[in-house]
Amino acid sequence: MSNAHTIILMSMLSSGLMLGVIFSLVASGVTIIYGSIWMPNAANGQFFLLGALLTWTMTVQFGLPPAAGALLVIGLSVAFSYLLEILLIRRFYDVPNRNISYFVLSLGLTQISAGLLSITYGVWSDQFQVPPLVRGVTFIGPFPLANTRLAAFAIAIVLLALLFALLRFHKYGRALRAVFQNREAAALRGVDVRAVYRLSFVLGNGVVFAGGILFAYAYSFDLSAAWTMAITAFAIMIIGGPGSVLGALVVGLVFGFTQAIVSTFASPTIAAFSYLGAMLIILLFKPSGLFAR
Amino acid sequence: MHAERRGLPIALAALILGAGIAAARAEEPIKIGFTTEQTGAWSFFGASCVAGLKLALPQVNAAGKRPIDFVILDNQTQPAQAAAGSRNLDVQSKVLALSGPTSSDTSLAVYGYAEQNKVPFVVPVAAFPQLTKPGSRYTFRLEPDAAGWGYAIAKFVESRKPGAKLALIYSDYALMRAITAGLKYQAPKSGLKIETDIAFPQGANDATVQAAQVVAAAPDYVIVIGAGGFDMTITNQLLDLGIKTDQIIHPFGITTQVKNWGKRSAGSFYGTFFDSNLANLTPEGKKFVADFTAQNNRPPSYIENYCYVTAQIIRQVLDANPAAADDREKFRDAMSKLNTKESTSGIPIVFDKNGARKEYIFFMQIKDVDEKGYQASQVFYTEWDPEVIPVYELVK
Repeated sequence: MSNAHTIILMSMLSSGLMLGVIFSLVASGVTIIYGSIWMPNAANGQFFLLGALLTWTMTVQFGLPPAAGALLVIGLSVAFSYLLEILLIRRFYDVPNRNISYFVLSLGLTQISAGLLSITYGVWSDQFQVPPLVRGVTFIGPFPLANTRLAAFAIAIVLLALLFALLRFHKYGRALRAVFQNREAAALRGVDVRAVYRLSFVLGNGVVFAGGILFAYAYSFDLSAAWTMAITAFAIMIIGGPGSVLGALVVGLVFGFTQAIVSTFASPTIAAFSYLGAMLIILLFKPSGLFAR
Repeated sequence: MHAERRGLPIALAALILGAGIAAARAEEPIKIGFTTEQTGAWSFFGASCVAGLKLALPQVNAAGKRPIDFVILDNQTQPAQAAAGSRNLDVQSKVLALSGPTSSDTSLAVYGYAEQNKVPFVVPVAAFPQLTKPGSRYTFRLEPDAAGWGYAIAKFVESRKPGAKLALIYSDYALMRAITAGLKYQAPKSGLKIETDIAFPQGANDATVQAAQVVAAAPDYVIVIGAGGFDMTITNQLLDLGIKTDQIIHPFGITTQVKNWGKRSAGSFYGTFFDSNLANLTPEGKKFVADFTAQNNRPPSYIENYCYVTAQIIRQVLDANPAAADDREKFRDAMSKLNTKESTSGIPIVFDKNGARKEYIFFMQIKDVDEKGYQASQVFYTEWDPEVIPVYELVK
């Protein structure tokens, strides 16, 4: 195999993996929130973008080191989510068919957020780039890969593993899965359902913010990143099965690779809607999603 | 006698009243509707444009002149909003002319309204060719059309390396399609060969695979036209994979873009219509750069310059034709006869029968980028008649 072919093959693998883990992270956050409180959060793309933009603020405007900036943004996301939960989200916990109310609410949040980001960040620049997490390039054979992207990929894998372990082995994870499956039964077994709701909202948003932060370290971005991610995360959640973190992990990776492979052998334009086409086909045969409980 | 005595004061009063009305009219501001992108995807461009416009206002509204009031309205980067805003400015505010959009999409919406309702429209920054398509009567555009940029890129490459191989990698937006249409038309005529042609859909965020495909094609030059943040992603991924900086040509570069491309892009080229690093800036151009930089903490680029110049040429037309201040047809006629120069760069402004100006472009090479700004030097300049290539046929 010539160097050129090796580089194309490696670029396809790296692109699929990088996009896949970010898709998986964001979709996991979305599905945790949907699975617990039944909130189809249409504002997930805005939260994702907010994570990326705040990282830019911390590192470029305030000059913080990349790692410190990232940790500070995660801290801010926790405070932001708690505040949102107290002010808005918890008011709907007892509303029947609240998923519709939540959807409309999150659409409103999307519009407000898009407007606010436009009149703040939108006047500073039409493109944003943060300093690298790690400088330099690593060669994998003839293929050079920026260290900052390698670092973002490694962190995303660690976060996904931690998330999986938390949900599988920790007391909170078991409570969350119990609420996913049957909230009335979980309540009868002594699970504090409202506390699980609150934690799920904060955790889910934290994971979405983390996706935005890592995206900012891997790619340059602009305000339109929110819309693409919002649609992609929803598509992954629906195919994976709403509420299934495993589904989000697997389908996120599949989406990333689908995009990389189709854009290599067909074109980036076809790649952009190929996975949405796959979503429609899968839903024809398994409307509840591949990993539905 | 009594009647004569009564008639004199009445006549005097009428005379004084008439003079008062005329004086009041002379002092009444001339309104120009400025519908621009203050929110939405293009808000950075709208805000930059308004910043440039505002720098021109003290000079435009100097003492003793009938003031010009630029009525600024946010079009939210939405064509429908731009059209609705144009109607509002026309019917409610009764503006003399429209101006302000910096995106081709919103400009096309205003263009439709302006041409249909016979409202003069001065386009500061929007490059889609159809804004000055044959038959346009009320529209005058300062920025060269995008298909022409493509023509100019081919001329630039031809001047550097005859017979060069090109790779095109771009976002699939109307503006980029127009640039590549002009380039694809002119490239064979200039003896250039396009080896790779890769378009990305809107919202794309990864170009690793396509950068590798570009590297595999071994081109002499890569024409990079990403939208927003994706522009930097493509650029970085090309550089990561070993494309040399002096192989990269960005058809356009504004201040924030050049700063974001950063130090590692030193050596690469970009097209522009005004740049703080141009050697031949006029004294007013140098003052404009200094004042803008002091106020905004970054040098201006062609967006700010075109909006600054827009205010100036409107003033110039009204000074030379006072009757045009209250008559749209007279204003349109005066605009169509305008023969002047950009006060900042000395580049001529003359509109053809469709409202397109004699077009031009500078190509700059980045020398260095640092915290405060960037240094670049002019390496190429060309100008051309808008219809040197069939722009209105290439891009419908």
